[in-house]
Formats: sequence, C-alpha cells, structure tokens
Amino acid sequence: MNTLCESADVIRTENLDVGYDCKAVIRNVNIEALRGQTICLIGPNGAGKTTILRTLAGSLAPVGGSVYISRANIKNIKPSEQAKYMAIVLTEKLHMDLTSVYEVVSMGRVPFTNFFGRLSSDDHRIVAESMQAVGAAGLSERQFNSLSDGERQKVMIARALAQEPKLIILDEPTNHLDIRHKIEVIRILNRLSAERQMTVILALHDVDIAVRSCQNVLMVKNGQIVAQGRPEDIVQTETIGNLYEIDGASYDSVLGSFELCYQNQPEVFIAAGAGSGVPFFRSLSRLGCGIATGILHQNDVDYNIASAMKLTVVSERSFQPITVEKVAAAKAAIAKTRFAVDSGFPVGDYNRVNIEVLRGYASSGGRVYSMRSKDEIARLYPDVAVATISSISDLHALLPEAQADARGRGR
Amino acid sequence: MVDGVRNRLVTLTVIGLALLAAGALVVMALNVIVGSSSISLADVMKVIAGSMDSDDTKAIIVMQIRIPRALAAAIGGAALAVAGLLLQTYFNNPIVEPYVLGISSGASLFVGLFFLGGFTFGFAQISPMMLFVGAFVGAMAVMAIVLVAARKVKSVITLLIVGLMVGYLCSAATSILTAFADKERLQIFSMWTMGSFAGITWSQIAVLAAVICPMIGFAFLLAKPLNALAMGDKYAASMGINVKHVRYLLILIASVLTAAVTAFAGPVSFIGLAVPHICRVVFRTYNNRVLIPATAMGGALMAGICDFAARNVIAPTELPLAAVTSVIGAPIVVYLLTRKEVR
Repeated sequence: MNTLCESADVIRTENLDVGYDCKAVIRNVNIEALRGQTICLIGPNGAGKTTILRTLAGSLAPVGGSVYISRANIKNIKPSEQAKYMAIVLTEKLHMDLTSVYEVVSMGRVPFTNFFGRLSSDDHRIVAESMQAVGAAGLSERQFNSLSDGERQKVMIARALAQEPKLIILDEPTNHLDIRHKIEVIRILNRLSAERQMTVILALHDVDIAVRSCQNVLMVKNGQIVAQGRPEDIVQTETIGNLYEIDGASYDSVLGSFELCYQNQPEVFIAAGAGSGVPFFRSLSRLGCGIATGILHQNDVDYNIASAMKLTVVSERSFQPITVEKVAAAKAAIAKTRFAVDSGFPVGDYNRVNIEVLRGYASSGGRVYSMRSKDEIARLYPDVAVATISSISDLHALLPEAQADARGRGR
Repeated sequence: MVDGVRNRLVTLTVIGLALLAAGALVVMALNVIVGSSSISLADVMKVIAGSMDSDDTKAIIVMQIRIPRALAAAIGGAALAVAGLLLQTYFNNPIVEPYVLGISSGASLFVGLFFLGGFTFGFAQISPMMLFVGAFVGAMAVMAIVLVAARKVKSVITLLIVGLMVGYLCSAATSILTAFADKERLQIFSMWTMGSFAGITWSQIAVLAAVICPMIGFAFLLAKPLNALAMGDKYAASMGINVKHVRYLLILIASVLTAAVTAFAGPVSFIGLAVPHICRVVFRTYNNRVLIPATAMGGALMAGICDFAARNVIAPTELPLAAVTSVIGAPIVVYLLTRKEVR
C-alpha cells in the first residue's frame, strides 16, 4: 500500500533535535514545507546543516522530536516507499570507474525496477527526461569520471530526478562550482519547484544566492536555529555579519552582496553618484588608498556600497535637497585629502552642489581629476584647472606620482 | 539512436560472455586431454560415453584423476573470482580478495586443526563436508575480526593491513601446529597449503558444486543492490536498498565461496584479485549483472589455465598452483596499483 499520499504537506518537523549518538547538536528544529516550496539552510561550516539534512532524509534517527514526510512519521515509512518520494544529492565527490553518465542517472530508477534491475521503456524515458531537465542530455554517453564538477553536479541532480521525487534534499549543491554552474544549478532547482511542484531543501554556502533564490531561509549557528523565515524578513546587514562572524567585510541586504571593508585614513576624495563611484571605491581601496566620498543621497547605489565598504561618506537624506551643513562637511572632508576625483556622475538640480565643492577645492590649489569630456569640463569648471582622465587605469598611472607628490607636500 | 548504441553494447556483452564460456570449456577439455600421458579426444569421448573398459588405465586417468581435477579447477576458480568481486565491491577497493584479507589463511588454520591437530570431534574420519565446515568457520572468524576493525578504522589501507596481520597470525598458528604434527599427515597438509586441485575426489566435487553453484547464483541475484552500493552507502540507502542486509549477505557469500575452495584445494591466491579486474577492463563496465557471470566464467578459465601450466610446464614434475597464480597475478596487482585510472 502506498503510505505516502499526495498530500500538499510534504515535510514537517516537530521539535526536532538532531545529533549523533543521542547527543543533540541542534535543538528544536521546526520546519514545514509545502509542495513546490524551497527551504534553504545557511550558516557557517560545522554549524550542523548537514546533520539536519541527514535527519530529514531519514539516514540519521532524530535525537528528539519527529520528522513527518507527507504526514507520516519517517520512522514508520519503509525505505523502499521513501525512495519513491524523496531523493538526495550529497556533497561528497563520487568516483565511478567505467560508468557512463546514462548508467549513473538510471541508478535513480533502482526503487522502481524489478528484482534484476532491468530498465523498462518507461524507465528509459524517465532517465532521458531527467537528463533533459538539467540540460545534461548531451552528456549521456560520457564517462562519469571525465565530467567537470559542474557537469557532475547536474548529472547527480538528474539521477535524483529519475527517482521522480516529490522532495529533493541537496547538501551544498553549489560547492566547488564556478559561477556559471552555480547559477545553472540554482536555476534548475528553481525551475523544478516552480514547474514540477517539487519541494527542495538545500544547504548553501552562498548567502547571496540563497537570499535571491529561496522562499524560506533557515539560519543555523552554534547548535541553534537563529532565524527562520523569508529572506526579506530575516536577512539584515547585521544578521549575516553575526551569522558568519565576518571580519573585514560587510553585507548589504538591499544589494544582497558583500563588500570588503577598508578603514584607511582618507587620501582621495571621490565626488560620485548613481554608481559612477563604485569602480573608484573598489580599485583605489585595493591599492590601500583611503577614500572619502560625497555628497551622496542615501538612495544612491554609491551610498550603499560606500557605507558597506566603511568609507568616509558625506550623505544627505533620500530625495532631499543637499543642506548647507552637508556642503560644509564635504568641504571639510575634501580639504583633508591629497587630491579629488570627479567620477563623471550625472549632474542634476539636487547634486549640482558637488561640482561647487570640487571647484572650491581646485580654486584653493587642490588637484582634481575628472572623467568628463573636455567640453563638459569647460562647461562645468569654467574658471579652474581640472585634469582629464579617461579610465581608472589613467588614475592608477597617476597615482604613484600623485601620491608621491601628495606625500611630498604632506612633509 | 541511443537505443541502437545500447543494443549493440548488449550484443557485444553477450558475445563476450559466450566466448568466455567457450574458452573455459576448451581449457577444461585440454586439461583432460593433455598431461604426462596424452589421451586423445576420441578416447576421452569413449571413456565418457562408457564404451571403454572402466579398468583401462586411460579410463581411470580420465575418470578418476583428470575430469575431477578439471572440474575442481573450473568450479574453484569461479568461486574465488566471484568472492574477489564481492569483496572488492564491499570494501569499494580494487586490491581486496579472500587471500589478501586473510580469509584463506583463517580457513587454512581450521583445516589444519582438523588435519594435524586431530580435532575430529569424535569422528573417525574427516568427511569432505566437515572439512568445508571447518574452513568456513575459519573464514568467518577472520572476516569477523576484519569487520570489527572496519568499524573502528575508516582507512581501507589500514583495514588491509589488519587483514594481512590476521592472515599472518593464522599462518603462524598453522606453522606451530605443523611442528607437533606427525610426519605422514604433515606431508599431505603441506602439499595442501601450496594449493592444488590435484587428488580431488568425486565426493569432494559433489560438496564443492553443491555449495558453490547456488552461492554464485545467489550473488547474481544481488547484482542490483551491488550496483547501487557502488554509489556509496548513503545513496544506496536513499534508493531503498537495505544496505546492512546486503553487506551481511555479501560477507556470507564471499566467506562460503572461499571456504569451500580452501577446504579442498588449499589457499589459492590472486585469482580472486586478478579476474574481476580483467573482466572490468574487457567488458568496460562496473555493472555487476555482467560482471558476476563474467568473473565466474573468467575465474574458471583462469584457474584452468593456471592448473594446466602447473601440470605441464615442467612435466612430469608438478608446480605448486600458488606459484603459478602468483607469477600471473602479482604483475597484475603491481600494474593496478601503479596505473592512475581506468579510461
């Protein structure tokens, strides 16, 4: 009898404690996933993500509480039944000598084939469809051991699909993959949950991918679920920093990405806006050059990045005209630097004052480099000397000279 | 289009298996015909058909010596090769076989206890079945020790060393036994320890066949779970395979097969190691549905060839079988250990 009915309630845990040898590693895991939902476990290495996944997959008995698969307690489900409902993709690298991709994928039919494991025409069709679903149809006759890491992972997902599961559990499926394959794997999983209404539970290292692709995120740290819910609700700049105990980088929850932090004394002032400053922030910071920037509106992407990088930022509230105080602050900041850069930001009514700040600096003897065309410079800076640069490399070429010059002046 | 490729592969595999079977039969026939006194095929046929006087020397040689010996080599070789294949799957390691893991030595020790120690447990004579049971107990004892060690150590290399050491201990115990044994028995026993299919009687063949043939059939029935095990325990379990169960069966079958051969032919090395590898390379597959029949026939073929060499290379003097299998098997092991990957 099929104990696993077509319930929308795919997997649920009740006060689940997971661990080894009756010792709980993580207590009180309560998760619930309906058909077509994705749950993503994030957290530092060794936090116990794999332990949770193994317990959900039934290969590790719960230390306390219960796991329900389609409303049935997992300990009452026959392994042969479970195999038709749930498939897994593990993180360890498989070594399969003299075995073709097709043979590996058709292993997924093991729960369905007869005693001798002979594949029926239906089985062959499902194997072919599974390979198509992950875009691995062309790999069919290749030797499994000759595949790249990315191809391998797709094949392992195809093998899991051949089990025609309602639930698929993956441990670090993007591990060791290059960025193209990372994205490919995630898109495959998203498509499976959307089109096939498959429930996906996975552990991920990459927070940026997790928050973009999963409806539910579970943060695991130090034997605890520290937060759980929609990524938009729980993933904030500080939560991620705390979760991974990151030093030297910070997470921007709006952009969903990390920036390395630099806290050098500002040597260069970058007048920026609308993203024009980001390449300067990053490239100069890499050289160890301290940066001050301004005046940025707080709804400007340059502001997000500059704050995440912990640069010195003079900012104004979103959509507000820049106040006199901020202009004074910017003038104070630029005065302390060796030279200034005009990133070529779009100039409009609300930020024209930045040009004034640069002009003031130039007219008092400061060096200004601008990314603008000669015509534009003539128009914006009619009365002061401003040098042109056409790329970041130009600025880099200038830097030793500029820095040496600046240092000379400093002494 | 892919179906076409697959069908051709199936056809090739079937042809390969048929060739192996034919080869094994040819070698068996040669083993009956060729020897210190050559007997023509026609005469052999006459003997088998019963149209020759059964007191004729040729008839006695064929019926009492050569046919039992050729049969023993074929059945024994098949058993050792399949046991090797099963153990290699169990440990997921290519250099494992009954001899390497000390299973043969364990079986030898217990056979030695019967032979030399006179532990006949009140029986006046040692029956073939008792010999087999003794060997089986020894094989299982060593296997149990190796398995207990396997729980503690994760490294397969360490496990192999444990197996080797247990094997040495068993050999040492056997040597100690020989020191106390009486001369007459010792001579038979030391012949036996070098491994030989010589002197096997029809009643022993009966036990050998009755034990080995069902076990090989049994192994074939495990082909599907064995294939799943190649992906590792976790994947196998996730596909509904009862991994523990399959692993127990594997050990049981491999031990029974080894014990049966060891009881009657002594410890024979390398066949269990080399044949599965050769079959994998020849058939270009790890699929046990192909490999189990292939190794069974390949084992029969290889043991037949080795026995043929043992009998005929420096005839009329016979070479110890262990020497022949080692000469053929050791280079294969070195090759396997030094090569990077099967491509």
